[in-house]
Amino acid sequence: MTTPITTPEYMLLFRGMDWDRGLSPEEIQNVMSRWIAWFDRLTEQGKARAGQPLTDKGKVISGKKGQTVSDGPFAESKETVAGYILLQADNLDEAVAIAKECPGLDYGISVEVRLVDQQIGRGIGVGV
Amino acid sequence: MKKPRDKEISPPSGEISQLAEHLFRQEAGKLVSVLTGIFGIDRLQLAEDVVQEALIRALQTWPYYGIPKNPAAWITQTAKNLALDLIRREKLFRDKQPEIVASTEQWSADSFADDSPSFDTEIKDSRLRLMFACCHPLIAQEEQTALALKTLCGFSAAEIAKAFLTTEAAIAKRLTRARQKIRDLRIPFEIPSGSELSIRLNGVLQTLYLLFNEGYKASSGESLVKKDLCYEAIRLAVLLAEHSVANLPRIHALIALMLLNGARLPTRTDTEGNILRLKEQDRSQWDRTMIARGMFHLLQSAEGDEASDYHLQAGIAACHCTAKDYESTDWPKILSLYDRLVEFDDSPVIALNRAVAVANVHGPMAGIEAVEAIRHHGKLSSYYLLYAVLGELEAQLNHPQTAADHFRSSLRLTEIRSEQMFLSKRLKACEERTANRR
Repeated sequence: MTTPITTPEYMLLFRGMDWDRGLSPEEIQNVMSRWIAWFDRLTEQGKARAGQPLTDKGKVISGKKGQTVSDGPFAESKETVAGYILLQADNLDEAVAIAKECPGLDYGISVEVRLVDQQIGRGIGVGV
Repeated sequence: MKKPRDKEISPPSGEISQLAEHLFRQEAGKLVSVLTGIFGIDRLQLAEDVVQEALIRALQTWPYYGIPKNPAAWITQTAKNLALDLIRREKLFRDKQPEIVASTEQWSADSFADDSPSFDTEIKDSRLRLMFACCHPLIAQEEQTALALKTLCGFSAAEIAKAFLTTEAAIAKRLTRARQKIRDLRIPFEIPSGSELSIRLNGVLQTLYLLFNEGYKASSGESLVKKDLCYEAIRLAVLLAEHSVANLPRIHALIALMLLNGARLPTRTDTEGNILRLKEQDRSQWDRTMIARGMFHLLQSAEGDEASDYHLQAGIAACHCTAKDYESTDWPKILSLYDRLVEFDDSPVIALNRAVAVANVHGPMAGIEAVEAIRHHGKLSSYYLLYAVLGELEAQLNHPQTAADHFRSSLRLTEIRSEQMFLSKRLKACEERTANRR
């Protein structure tokens, strides 16, 4: 039995917590309004399926049995993931085209686009 | 398909999709005032930083969850939490920490909202204190205006730089110097009392007037920012007038003057940015609401027997606003107001404006005589508008050649592009008329 072919999903990871601190309140309001409109449009089109912001609070656990617990996962705040959305797109090109519309790009935010592994072929011989 | 918001988190009820225009700017001004009251005026920068951080938090979360039902309360609550974190963490608050924490905790986001009476007076007091601190006579005028825009109006250094046609670095320097002076000279965060109040209030009004004029004058600079300067100056003046200690006739006169001039702002240039003279402006596009508000404040300014130069300037602006068309302008009344205004203010620019009124009442020849009488006054001989006025009056007298000479002099003296375009057009018209005569 094969899973019906589904539209691929992409995770858009928004990186960068340190917005240009010289932004004026007016500019903050403008970029935010544009960002909200962008998300709203993607949601209405059925493309955005989920999304959440992340704070900069957290720990990184590593080493055997988690012996190392360090503060903050973040090498640099411009690398830190500040939020994500789960996107339905026909292909990587479309997902990239959507990512390019991110209003934060002009302000030092970067967007990472990753194909979600949907386990096509699940159930065929792979233990579930 | 479910909306991601529904899926992840239930959205706040009554979510709204549109934010009030300039909400962040206005909330920033309000919160900086209140936080300065808590942190102390010597930590003005800290208050600004906390507010900035709160707004960045909104930017980072609202796109995902939508705009909260009460955006202002959300920002206030976030600023409060950030302030409390900071106070508990920072050593500098150690000696006064308990009382500062107590006064910050008193805030409740709801009672802090614009329509709540409980914190209303507190906010108004804080804002007025900050106005008095920013406009303290020990701070240089250009630093006062920059600091007021930054702290009270939520402008960034870059936006202030655009409005004042200077660099961001230069504005940053002015801001640093101003904050330094507040610390070093121990400028208080208080509303002056007794005889000092009236004098200090004049200083605040002067700064607001400058702010407005900076936006109003036709010089270059980004028109959008300049328009905002006018509106912010009006907004601050209205806030000032709402406070019982400042509710004086001259403040209403200043508000009236700003509103009545501001109402005509959008019609002073055409769509290509060319300057339109008063007689060429489309009066149907004047902002009727602003004119009505202006007339209302003009009425309030008439209480008592105080007559400031703001009263006279507001009266002049009202004459223009109430005239059906250019021809029916009450020039004799305008001239009489200018006659009184020159007694208050010996500025050559006002004298030049009076000369224009003279020309409208007594004819171009009398106007030229009035200009000649003041032409060696101060720096007027190198002021481009002096020659522009002379050119206009000579043209009316049908002396196109003399007029052209004046327009050429005027052109040499201004760098402002829109003015240059206007003067070139006038010059060309005069040259054509001269050529046709030959």
